[in-house]
Amino acid sequence: MEVGIRGWGTYIPRFRLSAQEVAALWGYDSKLPKALGIIEKSVAEEDEDSVTMGWYAAKVAMQRAGISGDEVDAVFFGTESKPYAVKPSATIIADALGIKKRKLASDLEFACRAAGEGVRISVGLVKSGLAQNTLVIGSDTAQANPGDLLDFTASSGAVAFVVGPGSASAAVVEASVTYVTDTPDFWRRDRSPYPEHAEIFTGEPAYFHHIVSAVKLLLEETGLKTGDFDYAIFHQPNGRFPLQVARSLGIPQEKVLPGLVTPYIGNTYNASALLGLAKVLEEARPGSRILVATFGSGAGSDAFSLVVRDSVFELVKRGPRVVDIVNSKVQISYGEYSKFRGLLLRNIGG
Amino acid sequence: MKLSAPQFWRVKENQYKLVITICKNCGRKTVFKRPICPHCGSDGVEYIESAGIGVVEEFTKVYYKRDSSEDRLPEVVGVVKLREGVRVVGEIVGIRSDEVREGMEVEAVLRKYVSDEPYGIIYYGLKFKPV
Repeated sequence: MEVGIRGWGTYIPRFRLSAQEVAALWGYDSKLPKALGIIEKSVAEEDEDSVTMGWYAAKVAMQRAGISGDEVDAVFFGTESKPYAVKPSATIIADALGIKKRKLASDLEFACRAAGEGVRISVGLVKSGLAQNTLVIGSDTAQANPGDLLDFTASSGAVAFVVGPGSASAAVVEASVTYVTDTPDFWRRDRSPYPEHAEIFTGEPAYFHHIVSAVKLLLEETGLKTGDFDYAIFHQPNGRFPLQVARSLGIPQEKVLPGLVTPYIGNTYNASALLGLAKVLEEARPGSRILVATFGSGAGSDAFSLVVRDSVFELVKRGPRVVDIVNSKVQISYGEYSKFRGLLLRNIGG
Repeated sequence: MKLSAPQFWRVKENQYKLVITICKNCGRKTVFKRPICPHCGSDGVEYIESAGIGVVEEFTKVYYKRDSSEDRLPEVVGVVKLREGVRVVGEIVGIRSDEVREGMEVEAVLRKYVSDEPYGIIYYGLKFKPV
């Protein structure tokens, strides 16, 4: 049985903080944003979190899929910025969307790739007949220690997919594999407000090794070659890494650029590569083959091969397009960013 | 402030969704799910869910409050006339407070209302953002 993406939805806050402003405030070289491949990042408001953004993306995904809450058998919420340490976010979103009570629902955590694992789990559930449709959400209000290198890129955004039968899908999942190891490249301890990272260690042994390994496994299992793909989308911690990993796999950058969103909105963590997939679905022609490789620190990568179907054109029309959401923006100062993200200490409550 | 988790739980359907009550006796529509028509007192009512799209008819700017959401001040609260013909009061978000205009088309979005900081429950509900 074929399984695919029946619908997708995205959410990117309108407010943007310029990377040049971050550089100027913290005394970095003004050439650093260009070196990181980042122009600006999206910033969530004070009353937004991964639940509220995920709700919006999921609402649009269900609208695109043309399904009601009674037809969703599982909700998986991938995030590393869940509002509660204990209390599921998936249930809040499901109730707010009117999804039936008889369902699976849980929050998944594996840094930036939890939602990618949600897609893989969903493919298994639908293929086995245990679920007709599932809803997978990747949403993060990414945290960054003010002044840290992550402050240039850590942003906010969400993406959601309805995974269901291939016959009703915009793109079918042709194959998928996952490659994970214990690699301490990036972490956040309990009660720590910001993540720590192992500087350059986040690159070669973490991001590059895991993505390249997952993609090579996918190619071995399918017999495909990188040249068989029309698009390649990789996790996007900055604007440079996806182009570098593509080069190491022999994939030209023309196949990567259509799905590269981080330079314009920053790294949305769990939504990062999957937002790129949503954007590519809105531009791809039927028959196109798409390579997607997520990455989550700690560390692991899921590689997917998807083939676009004829119904993609109809589904694109049923919701807002990523390119329009990216271009609908309002510039803010670092002061407003600090207020929006709760970085200012203030006595609150009565 | 101390919020009541059970109290919120009981009313969450009216916080998460824009339900409209239609009276089968007098025919009038009222926002929120209500067991009795507030206009004629009839319990012969039915419900529809609003699409959540509307227009800002009026608004005001709030500069002071003490409910643990004052980190958002100043905030804009508006009267939104929904496509279904009923009016609802809600916060206007996703836009700088001095850029809100009457006649602006908005859509309902889930946001945090208030939360019992630092360890209590978070109240979610609908507000409105520009379409």
